[in-house]
Amino acid sequence: MPTPSNKYLRTAFIAGLFVILCIGGFTYKHISELSQTSKVVKDNYSLRNELELIISNLKDAEIGHRGFLLTHDSLFLNPYEESLQKVTSNLVKLDTLIVSNGEQVEKLKQLKGDINNRFKNFDKSFSLANDDSILTRDLLFLLHEGEIRMDRIRADITEMLALEQRLLTHNQEVNEKKIGLTPLFFYGLLIVTLIILLLAYVKMTTDLKALKESNVELEIFEKLTKQSEIVSNTSTWVWYIEDNEFEFSDNLYRLIGEEPQSFEPTLENFYNYVHEEDISNLGEQVNMMMREEELPFTSFRVVHRDGTIRHLKAYSKLMDDTEGDAKMLGVTIDATNEVENYRIIEQRNQELERTNKELSAFNYVASHDLQEPLRKIQTFMSRLESKEKDHISESGQVYIQRMKSASARMRMLIEDLLQYSRTNTSEKEYLKTNMNMLLEHAKTELIDSIEEKHAKIICDDLPTMEVISFQIQQLFINLISNSLKYSKDKVPPVIEITHQEVLSKDINEIKDSLYKYHHKITFKDNGIGFEQAYAEKIFLLFNRLHGKSEYSGTGIGLAICKKIVENHKGVIMAEGHPNGGASFTIYLPFLK
Amino acid sequence: MNSDYINIALADDDEDDRFFFTEAFDELKLKSKVLLFKDGIELMEYLNDSDNMLPSLLFLDLNMPKKSGLECLKDIKATKRLSDMVIAIYSTSASEEDIENTFVKGANVYIKKPNDFEKLKKVLSEVVTTNWQYHTSGLNKDNFLLRL
Repeated sequence: MPTPSNKYLRTAFIAGLFVILCIGGFTYKHISELSQTSKVVKDNYSLRNELELIISNLKDAEIGHRGFLLTHDSLFLNPYEESLQKVTSNLVKLDTLIVSNGEQVEKLKQLKGDINNRFKNFDKSFSLANDDSILTRDLLFLLHEGEIRMDRIRADITEMLALEQRLLTHNQEVNEKKIGLTPLFFYGLLIVTLIILLLAYVKMTTDLKALKESNVELEIFEKLTKQSEIVSNTSTWVWYIEDNEFEFSDNLYRLIGEEPQSFEPTLENFYNYVHEEDISNLGEQVNMMMREEELPFTSFRVVHRDGTIRHLKAYSKLMDDTEGDAKMLGVTIDATNEVENYRIIEQRNQELERTNKELSAFNYVASHDLQEPLRKIQTFMSRLESKEKDHISESGQVYIQRMKSASARMRMLIEDLLQYSRTNTSEKEYLKTNMNMLLEHAKTELIDSIEEKHAKIICDDLPTMEVISFQIQQLFINLISNSLKYSKDKVPPVIEITHQEVLSKDINEIKDSLYKYHHKITFKDNGIGFEQAYAEKIFLLFNRLHGKSEYSGTGIGLAICKKIVENHKGVIMAEGHPNGGASFTIYLPFLK
Repeated sequence: MNSDYINIALADDDEDDRFFFTEAFDELKLKSKVLLFKDGIELMEYLNDSDNMLPSLLFLDLNMPKKSGLECLKDIKATKRLSDMVIAIYSTSASEEDIENTFVKGANVYIKKPNDFEKLKKVLSEVVTTNWQYHTSGLNKDNFLLRL
């Protein structure tokens, strides 16, 4: 995968290479230009040399010519001939040297013409001189003409030399210009290269530092992973799909009871530890993993060499952001504790279910079997009281009355206990119910004692709530009958029932509730009240504040109230003053 | 069929209850004939025998050995010949579940066995003297449980 720093390095390398190639190219070009220039200079000098040689050779030819004219001695003809040949070869050389220059070619042509004319002049004078040894007028004229032609040749050559000088100066100027720029250019390139090198160096150093740091981090991470695997009973593995090779973490070996990396990490070796009942299922899952490239949570058991059975759970996912080889990353955890806990919870649930069943069996026993003999005792007593009245003594009559009230109390206890256990039932159906209706039902149920005591019940309009209706009705009955029971002697009871919606956080008792709002329903009476110290105690089962003879009661009624309110996730509280009445406040949560 | 007497039947496994029942009818001085059965099997054998005279009013205890009152009720209502018989459930318990079940299965009235002999007499006389032919049309769950 190309990281940004890799990209940067590659760019720097390419730029450096390019710069070096440039330097090579420019150097080659400059050197070849330099050698070209020196060749031109050399040519220039040999051209000048040739031109000067032409003059001197022509002079030699003239000297030979003059000597012959004076002496007619053919001895002078030899240097003359030699010089002529030299001039001819000089001209040939000039031809090759001035190929490139147009102006100079013109000049050379003129020079050649002039030299040719001079040679003709020589030939003419020789033919004249052969006939006579005296200088004739014609010959003198020819000598004059030869002199003039010679001057012209000199002038030609001087011009050519001057031209060549100009060319040389010009070439030198151009070369100086070119060569003058070269060091600056090389220096600049060198600086650029150095800067690139420097940048690459800095970049590489910082990259190397970051790499080192991340290496250290990686090392820490690896150690932490190993530690956490051991502590949390987890392990990891990698499956390289292309090569079909596995890599197990150390802890995977420990999870199956072996030393880390103690065997080749292959599926076959791993299967040796899988519980024989789970092998086929796990195999199926793994085969599916190889097809679908995903392994959902799979549970299986492994058997250690010492026979210990552990529950493992594996999960794996394709690593999808890889370039190149695809691999799957897997996690295998030891779920034995989880399974064990689940088993314990299941066991407890079963126990609880059994207890519940026993409880409802007890309900039945209490409701039917216990009431049955009691009912008979009561019926037989009523028979005894009416049919055998005349045969029983007065103290016997008293005993019968005592027996009657005792059995009546027993009936009340049984019935209240039944009611209490009914509030425990698991059938909890919360239905939207109009609370006003439930209160009306409760009042109907208690109509006898309400009328008997001339009680007055003042009530706010109550809301519709989601409740277990028969339980809330029972709650209302118990609270009202409680107020009726503990009313002041000869004072008609007045019960005020008020309702308001409250914010949970405003009320201390319910401020930690998960619900934001609560219905607050208060039952306030003008009865005998109670000491505030007993405010919590009165909700306890079988707890009574008064003697049985003063006020009848089983001590179950308010316990039922508490249970019902708790069933509705609410809170019930009592507040009282001796002789100042009691008030019961119920908070029931609701969602708005 | 002798129309001077009301034929009344009681199926109850409890000896004491059968004793109270007959004594109450004796004291009520109604022109009645009381048939007693110790369990559901005995009752159904009698009812299914077409030679026997059918009672016009059947008091049925729910909790009986061999065959419970609820099973008897189901069988009776399923038999056309017996389906017009007035059936009063006569039980110790008055659980919502029992009341609901028997009401649905077609019983006419539900009596919770009273714990006072005078009350028992009052209940029985009320049931016997009610014109069930007329009463059936106004039957609903609220007045199904007899309250005195």
